[in-house]
Amino acid sequence: MIASDAPAIRALGVTKKRGAQTVLSNVSVDIPRGQVVALLGPSGAGKSTLLRCINHLDTIDGGKIFVEGILVGYREDGDRLHELADVASSRQRRRIGMVFQSFNLFRHLTALDNVLCGPLHVLGLPRAEAAALARKLLAQVGLAEKEASFPNQLSGGQQQRVAIARSLAMAPSVMLLDEPTSALDPELAQEVIATIRQLADQGLTLVIATHEMAIARGFADRVLFMVQGEVVEDAPSAEFFAAPRHDRAKAFLARHK
Amino acid sequence: MAGATSSPIDAVAGGGAAAAQRIVHRRHWGAWAFGVLVLALFAALVKAAIDSRIVDLGIVGKYLFSTQIVTGAWNSLALGTVALGVAVVIGLVTALMRVSGNPILVAFSAAYVYLFRGTPMLIQLIFWFNAFPTMFRALHVELFGVVLMHVPMTQLITPYGAALLGLSLAEGAYMSEIIRGGILAVDTGQRDAARAIGMTGPTLMRRIVIPQASRIIVPATGNQYIMLLKSTSLASAIGYLELLRITTDIYASNFRVVELLTVAAFWYLVMTAFATAIQTGLEKRFPHR
Repeated sequence: MIASDAPAIRALGVTKKRGAQTVLSNVSVDIPRGQVVALLGPSGAGKSTLLRCINHLDTIDGGKIFVEGILVGYREDGDRLHELADVASSRQRRRIGMVFQSFNLFRHLTALDNVLCGPLHVLGLPRAEAAALARKLLAQVGLAEKEASFPNQLSGGQQQRVAIARSLAMAPSVMLLDEPTSALDPELAQEVIATIRQLADQGLTLVIATHEMAIARGFADRVLFMVQGEVVEDAPSAEFFAAPRHDRAKAFLARHK
Repeated sequence: MAGATSSPIDAVAGGGAAAAQRIVHRRHWGAWAFGVLVLALFAALVKAAIDSRIVDLGIVGKYLFSTQIVTGAWNSLALGTVALGVAVVIGLVTALMRVSGNPILVAFSAAYVYLFRGTPMLIQLIFWFNAFPTMFRALHVELFGVVLMHVPMTQLITPYGAALLGLSLAEGAYMSEIIRGGILAVDTGQRDAARAIGMTGPTLMRRIVIPQASRIIVPATGNQYIMLLKSTSLASAIGYLELLRITTDIYASNFRVVELLTVAAFWYLVMTAFATAIQTGLEKRFPHR
């Protein structure tokens, strides 16, 4: 089923409703491997929801999402899509990393245990092996000396970098970042942006919902601009910032100069 | 600020004199006066009790470590402890049912909590001991015509059996609510993060939610343990030889009511100290983060 030429992420006519409100409206997009995509748009445009549908943390009401050619969260049976069982969905999520606005580090675990948690309890690696991997990743995000710290002893920027390491520990093929710097003051945001940029340089496929121009303009390859659950503009980053076509995009950029 | 130049702060404080002045904190004279009054009233009460010459400390000493009393205290402690263990299991299962989202499980769990928390424990104990065995004569398990088990209820529902059943089920209702509260207090972001690294529902419950919920559940459970140890005295009503029953049996024959109640109270205090020590130890294992 895994086609080596399949895009990292493919959304086909994805629709999601919440009550009477349409949160995602017929979203179709192909994201090739290694691409860094910035999801821009006003609050409530559906950026977070789209990310949460890509790893099936949220269900969808129409369309299909594929990650590396594999249908996420559902099983096709003729003209029906049956939602997968918990175990099967969880297995799919192993290779889809996610980073949250509020970090969501496991509060009762040290930085090291947060990172080794996935390899140990999900992949079933021996503890020593999981710890070695976790140490390597903490060093990569520049927090080797903080491995024994609990989340409440770390700054927001440090917490987010641990969260990135936790996600990397599962060796994801794509990574979804939901406003990774929005809860941080500008100084702390910089260190997180630098860490995300490293991931981009390593060739990981990244989809980043953000308001941070240092990401969208700085190193994203492509911008998807969303308004009211629709992708209204899809352009290479340089092109988007040089000459936005959609009125809402123009207004948005004027505010984020 | 120290230096050759004079700052506005120096001017306000009166220069170098500030360091030499002693700070006098506010005295709470009202509270001290009330404290003296409380002491005086307490002293009057103690004096009245001594003057009544009703308590014979010799009798207290005679019974304090007698085999009968110590056995009774041990029975109370054992009953309360086993009942708490069963109640925690019942509470965990029914709390998980309550948060499952399945309407049948939610309704069943809610009804259980309402019924067992909403009726007096004493009524429940008497029901299990007196009414239940007359309603269900035997525990009978039969599969495809083969009788696997047949035990008359009168053998199962001894005073101890009824007390354990009654206390466990009543306490389970309280534990259910405590555990449910603990689970709900773990924010959804923790679940999202656990899901996002591929944890299945049971793993995320065991590795993330329950450990975090425990810091809320443990102190409340310690409190319930203390209440339950004292509630074992209700089992005296159905003839189980726990501390209170043995105490009342003794003073029914020697009329030394005050002395024997003092002895019983002493042992309940010892049990409470024991429970508190366990609770403190457990709380250190689940620190607030």
